[in-house]
Amino acid sequence: MKVAYIFATSRHTVSYVLGKMILPQLEENRHGVDVAGMFFFEDNNYVLVKGNPIGARLHKVAKEKGILLMGCDQCCYEREIADILFEGVPIGCFPDLYKVLSGNMPDQVITL
Amino acid sequence: MTAACREACCSVTPHFTVAELFERGFRRNRMAPFAIEGEAVRDAEGNSARFSLELDGGKLGEVRFRVSACTTLIAYCEALTELLPGLDTGLAAHFTPSELVDALPGVPRLKQPRAILAVAAFRAALLAARAQSHDPRNLSWPGLSRPSTS
Repeated sequence: MKVAYIFATSRHTVSYVLGKMILPQLEENRHGVDVAGMFFFEDNNYVLVKGNPIGARLHKVAKEKGILLMGCDQCCYEREIADILFEGVPIGCFPDLYKVLSGNMPDQVITL
Repeated sequence: MTAACREACCSVTPHFTVAELFERGFRRNRMAPFAIEGEAVRDAEGNSARFSLELDGGKLGEVRFRVSACTTLIAYCEALTELLPGLDTGLAAHFTPSELVDALPGVPRLKQPRAILAVAAFRAALLAARAQSHDPRNLSWPGLSRPSTS
């Protein structure tokens, strides 16, 4: 099975669910499913900023496994981080996300 | 004398940032167009933009637009509507996409081609103004053409 994650809520979504569950499992090849992509809303986009330690690990594993990482464009512009994300990580909105995922279609979309 | 900083670091408002230009542009995007309206211009990604404008003698008056719901495109179009009114039309006509990109920092390279679409649509409105003018000699901009959006 192939999934896509949408990180829509704040609180512990990135630091805990991504940083301590999903990411270590991906790094250890035991996540259980393939991940087509991850899309980030609101403050969750800070994980995509160059230098973020969780983001650096995520960026590395995403490159190795061909996982799309994309930040919400309005969220990134509002936070003035749109041009300082990890190399090759785009910003976009739903049309951009669907366009990219249409070439690597997930079976399930998980909103966290 | 230098212009006041209008980026988010300073208290001078309104801020000239992508986020705030988008907020203002989102509202302007819903306003009724002026009588002088250019052709809609489209890019290869399916985005479109169409400007309308008022003239005040040889100067550019108020400018409005109707564009696709793309944050970057709306911000670039709003930047044009805030930067160019009051200028001589000849100066406004030769405002380039790269000048627009330089005027609005913070846009990642992948999204900067939206500036080409914005400027192309703005020039289309100026060309419509010339076509509707009773005396087109007053609206003559040698060498002006729409930048390619393909």
